[in-house]
Amino acid sequence: MLRKFILGLVSAALALAAAGARAAGAPAEIKIGTLYAASGNFAAISMPVHYGLRLWVDQMNAEGGVYVKPYHKKIPIKLIAYDDQSNTATAATLYNQLITQDKVDILVSDSGSVLTSVAVPIARDHKILLIDQTGTGAAFFSKDNPYIVLISDPVSSIWPKYIADFLTGDGVKLGIKRIALLYSTNDFTGTQANAVRSFIKAAKAPVDIVYDQGVPTNTTSYTVIINNIRATNPDAVIALGYPNNDISYLRNLQDSGVKFKWQFAIYPGLETEHLEKTVGAKGMEYLYTYTPSSVLEYKAEFGMSLPEFRAAWTKKYGEGNVAFGFNSVAGYTTGLVLQKALGGTESMDQLALRKAIFALSGKLKTIDGTFELDESGAQIGEITPLGQIVPDGKGGLKFVVVYPHDVATGKPVYPAK
Amino acid sequence: MLEYALLAGLVFGLYFALVGLGLNLVFGVMRIVNLAHGDFLMLGAFGAFWLYNFAHVNPIATIFIALAVFTALGVPLYYLVVPRLLRAKDPEMLSIILFFGLSQVIEALATIGFGPSERSIPGRVLGSGPVALFGQSFPAAWMVSGVASALAVLGVYLYLYRTRLGYLTRAVMVHREEALATGIDVHRVSAIAFGVGLALAAIAGVFAPFMLGSATPAMGVDLNIQSFAVIVIGSLGNPLGTVLGGIVYGVSLMFMQTYFSSWANLLPYLLLILILLVRPSGLLGRQVRRA
Repeated sequence: MLRKFILGLVSAALALAAAGARAAGAPAEIKIGTLYAASGNFAAISMPVHYGLRLWVDQMNAEGGVYVKPYHKKIPIKLIAYDDQSNTATAATLYNQLITQDKVDILVSDSGSVLTSVAVPIARDHKILLIDQTGTGAAFFSKDNPYIVLISDPVSSIWPKYIADFLTGDGVKLGIKRIALLYSTNDFTGTQANAVRSFIKAAKAPVDIVYDQGVPTNTTSYTVIINNIRATNPDAVIALGYPNNDISYLRNLQDSGVKFKWQFAIYPGLETEHLEKTVGAKGMEYLYTYTPSSVLEYKAEFGMSLPEFRAAWTKKYGEGNVAFGFNSVAGYTTGLVLQKALGGTESMDQLALRKAIFALSGKLKTIDGTFELDESGAQIGEITPLGQIVPDGKGGLKFVVVYPHDVATGKPVYPAK
Repeated sequence: MLEYALLAGLVFGLYFALVGLGLNLVFGVMRIVNLAHGDFLMLGAFGAFWLYNFAHVNPIATIFIALAVFTALGVPLYYLVVPRLLRAKDPEMLSIILFFGLSQVIEALATIGFGPSERSIPGRVLGSGPVALFGQSFPAAWMVSGVASALAVLGVYLYLYRTRLGYLTRAVMVHREEALATGIDVHRVSAIAFGVGLALAAIAGVFAPFMLGSATPAMGVDLNIQSFAVIVIGSLGNPLGTVLGGIVYGVSLMFMQTYFSSWANLLPYLLLILILLVRPSGLLGRQVRRA
């Protein structure tokens, strides 16, 4: 009995010593390197994502750090963040600096496809996993590149699936036959435009794309383009752009007095408050858009719920200059995925991290929806249904989810009033 | 579509004449390149935004506020910066570097102060509903902006050709040293012209939310490029040539958007290359400018 007791005591001491030795080898901090654009064309989409990530980092550090499984302890996070000023050349230099000079443990890209695009080959060359927050360009992902995972937005090629499904199904029944497609020529919206064409073609529905034009992402005047679209007499218009494009397009549409029967734009759903401030409630009535998580209220099984996140955001940043919305949720979601991955990885090796992130696929549910990856690392969960913004009868606006049918909360208003 | 693009181009061109006018006036009088021109325009846009949102000041009234404030700002800025520049061996090149720095500072401060997001003023503030012009309908805000731009251009014409100060300004534009030798207070004349140049940028900024959809702290860079295209097309150093440059630019842009929309952002560069190859002095220039 005594022998057993002594043996147990010795074993326990050895185990403790081993754990202590592992903990002693633990780094003083986990270095997460990232970029943000405090100025320039992409600042408006970059800063909310960065602030969302920073909020998660501060929360973790307030709790003593993030739990890292290989060291069996919580380790404080050091967020190394540089301003790339929305410039891809500057971003490329800074991504290299994060890897080679700062020697970060985890590399997180800036927001959006343009500023992520330069990170993809750099990360691959250095064999470091790129935590791609919202760079959704489909060209970033291939089966032979294990050094990228898309965390917080679905890959662009599946974003418009519900738009196309609606137009080629319910839309045909409503009388939609002629579709106009306008997009900004960048990876994010260009890929979505390609996807729209493919989905519509595959559906073999009796609909035609009667207008199909790209415009540069820095386009600020759409009056002539709107007139050109009107000349093709479309039943439905899909406008795919960044916030600056959507704001200019919708303002020009409203000011021109043109009313299309069915109008889709991306950001009225993703950055609703911001668009309402700049376009005005009237200009957003009866628009179709991606339904934001604030409407769907994804039941978060990990991390804060949306109201909790909103409260934490307001407490930390106030109702300041950086807009709360889809992108702020994206930055916070990046943090949550990293938290889960660090808590499950077998080592801090980059491919082990990738394996830990892939292990979350289909199992992690946050305020951004269900996290799901395909084999190339592209996000295929977190897809948003098609919604319509309609007057709420009290002078405001409300969302109605119109497609797919299993999550629909109302019928589409067609033609728009 | 052709008619619409042409008419829209004329209205848009008038606005772009205003956008480039201040830059050309400053270059014409001082032979310095104000690379912060687009940033002063941005400040005018944010000024209009804040005044409308917090004091309900109509943007038309903001024009006069911008004129007074930015002229007053420009005069001391001139004395602080320009005389030193003009004493250098290569003031043009130095001015590019100096005003590029100033541009960066203004953009950074504006981003810190205003945030990076787009800001705008409702179009109905300048008139509701579309306005018919030769059978085509255009946003009322566009028409008001176009008319205001035309009036601003007219104002500059009257200033240069119908006032004593304007005569003195043109004398400095023709030959700074000779103007100095004849007893003209060159610095005083130049300081006022510099202030007017900044005020014109700010006035163009007041209309930016209506013509360009929104304003952001980062908008200055693109506007600088467009302004350069406009003034080089018209004639560098000839403020009234800017009108022609603006219209050529506006009409070309609308045609590009109609027929080659994906390539529309190449337009300023294409026009710059074309005009420098074919007519380096600009459409209204009499000789190649003295570099």
